[in-house]
Amino acid sequence: MSEKSPPAPAAASEEPRPSLASIVGEGARGLLVPLLAVFTAVVIGGVVIWLTGTGPAPSDVKGWPGFLVQSGLWRPLLAYLGLVQGAFGSRQALSETTVWATPYIFAGLAVALAFKGGLFNIGAEGQLALGALLAAWIGFALPGIIGPLPTIVHVPLALLGGALAGAFWGAIPGWLKARTGGHEVINTIMMNYLALLLSSYLLNGPWKDPNPSNVVAQTPPIAPSARLTPIFEGYRLHWGFILALLVAFAVYWLLWRTTLGFEIRTVGSNPKAARYAGIAVERMIVLTMALSGLLAGLAGANEVVGLNYGHTLSFNIGYGFDAITIALLGKTNPFGVVLAAILFGALRNGASRMQFLTQVPIDIISVIQALILLFVAADAIVRFLYRIRARGTKLVLTRGWGG
Amino acid sequence: MRKSLYPMLLALALIVPLLAACGGGATGGTAATSAPVAQATAAPAPTAASAPTTAPAPTAAAEATAAPAPTTAEATAAPEAKTLKVGLVTDVGKVDDKSFNQSAWEGVQQAQKDLSADVKFIETTDPKDYQKNIEQFADANYDVIVTVGFALGEATYQDAKKYPKIKFIGVDQFQAKDDKHPDIPLANLAGLVFEEDKAGYLAGVLAASVSKSGTIGAVCGTDVVPAVWRYGEGYKAGAKSVKPDINVQVVYHSDVGFDKTFTDPEWGNTTGLAMIDKGADVLFGCGGKTGNGALQAAANKGVYAIGVDTDQYLTLPEAQKAMISSAEKLITPGVFGLIKSSQDGSFKGGNNVGPVGLAPFHDLDSKVPADVKAKLQEVDKGLQDGSIKTNVPPTKPS
Repeated sequence: MSEKSPPAPAAASEEPRPSLASIVGEGARGLLVPLLAVFTAVVIGGVVIWLTGTGPAPSDVKGWPGFLVQSGLWRPLLAYLGLVQGAFGSRQALSETTVWATPYIFAGLAVALAFKGGLFNIGAEGQLALGALLAAWIGFALPGIIGPLPTIVHVPLALLGGALAGAFWGAIPGWLKARTGGHEVINTIMMNYLALLLSSYLLNGPWKDPNPSNVVAQTPPIAPSARLTPIFEGYRLHWGFILALLVAFAVYWLLWRTTLGFEIRTVGSNPKAARYAGIAVERMIVLTMALSGLLAGLAGANEVVGLNYGHTLSFNIGYGFDAITIALLGKTNPFGVVLAAILFGALRNGASRMQFLTQVPIDIISVIQALILLFVAADAIVRFLYRIRARGTKLVLTRGWGG
Repeated sequence: MRKSLYPMLLALALIVPLLAACGGGATGGTAATSAPVAQATAAPAPTAASAPTTAPAPTAAAEATAAPAPTTAEATAAPEAKTLKVGLVTDVGKVDDKSFNQSAWEGVQQAQKDLSADVKFIETTDPKDYQKNIEQFADANYDVIVTVGFALGEATYQDAKKYPKIKFIGVDQFQAKDDKHPDIPLANLAGLVFEEDKAGYLAGVLAASVSKSGTIGAVCGTDVVPAVWRYGEGYKAGAKSVKPDINVQVVYHSDVGFDKTFTDPEWGNTTGLAMIDKGADVLFGCGGKTGNGALQAAANKGVYAIGVDTDQYLTLPEAQKAMISSAEKLITPGVFGLIKSSQDGSFKGGNNVGPVGLAPFHDLDSKVPADVKAKLQEVDKGLQDGSIKTNVPPTKPS
């Protein structure tokens, strides 16, 4: 897009309500660069596996062409075969991939929504921790205060409480930005520390499981009425995954089908033009950060309610940061985020089987994730490698101080 | 497309330093692995782990025939199908962490060498994968699965019930029967646990014997953790056994939360320095990084330091010149012993007490008089045959 682009509101008002199909379509066209980024990362990761591997070929490669075995090329091939088997190769594997993907979807949506509003929310980690914390408290302590609750009330209450805690935590840096111009990148990072230290205090102190045999910083298990059950017996896939998909659709609806979403995107594309058009930019910044925090809080609450049935210090370390890569890989498109989250879930989940088969360092997954981030963020590399011309709107990652 | 080869090559060139780093790491790991875990006074403890192996139990034969069907099927195809298969699942961490994960993996590697076992590991990256990682091995019909660390206790218990034919070894997983675990001890689940008070006792004997000032100290994590309590109290008892009038200061960092008590080197350092100021000339650091802070203080002030859990001369180079020994849990022989017992049929479920001992004196070997070395040997023997008791209760009386 040229520098002299028309103001965003005008551009957007030409097409005020793009259909779902067009959003999906835009996403599909936008898939090319992310797919090539993933592909390139996987190829380079394969070279790393090939060159660093040690140890003899296992019996799994019996019957493979000789040159593959002799050259050591069996190693990356078997590693990726294991990765795919471990992520998708059985019902159990599929179920585990969704277990990994669920928090990634919520947290990825959180970061993506903030990007759409022109804000860089590095605070998903802290918002997620706080969401988990409050959801756990509602799960284990609330029945003791107000009496037993039916599941139909208790589960939504825990999720809502966690979501609101995240929203509150996200709104603070939003408010600081709107009122003082303090940059959200700095403030969300600081809020992360506050959230983690607060968790540490509560989980070691007042909210710690009083069971005498417990030596870990964790809450008591949440009441059975506050638990989301697995969808199928014997698998950990739980209703939280379905909820994540519904929320992704809700985020799409909010951003492209409501006035509020239009205002968020307008502020994100060009705050000056948004102000000129009569949008309360400050209010939008606070609201965007609160919504972003809400989604991140839901990620944490959902892990407590659907998977862990309690909250332990040091659970969920890093989801909020992986979410940044996921949002970028998904091009901040809600459906793109779902795909990227499933990919990351698959990488994390399949890693065990990959290591089981080939004994390559499990850190190779982190290497691949980092390469994906590199190629997605610096997409000029991918465009240059594959000779793709840039098209479409450019993503505004973040603005300067007080912007 | 041909032109785009150059950037690809460039990208490869950029990757090379990364590879070098990875390769270096791997080599380092192997080097550390191959280093013999020398034992000064350690000897096998009276446990299932060290059951006499010269007399093969009659059950061994029965076990061979009871092997799972797939193995039998493979046996016709390949002669080496009878190979013992041992898998290890780490806690969140790596097999070269210079700590429990590595020690346990070395025990498994010894099984590879001595028992020609087929061995593999999986490194856990997130607690939610514990069970899945264990089941990678279980579903592949492994014979023995080693899980490292207290945190894997629950997942190990669940899988031990699910796969009754597979032997499970839970390092540092105390097997206690309660409402949630009514069927403990399971016949196929051995918890490898340690009597830290005996290791602490040996450290106390050493400290009291080499002290000239008559004052020694210990800087520990919280005494709410039974293992830490046993180390600290064992140290006290050991020191008093040599010199009844010795001044032993044992300080537990019980005033902070669990996330802080083992990761507070500043507090450990300050506390250690305060003890040295009051005349302490040997410091025992027992409590992760907190204890390391005290060892560092000892090194800076030129007094003796005694490490904990593993041979800290190797893992804490900055305190090396002061490290006279470490009170060790000998996980490597403990794990190996249990794997071996699964072969000769002497494997027994429930708690298996692993060997403890003192690490080598390394650079300070010449500072330990021969009579002290002899005394340590004697005490170690006494602790093992039960003629010497530490009289330390398993947990702090409340």
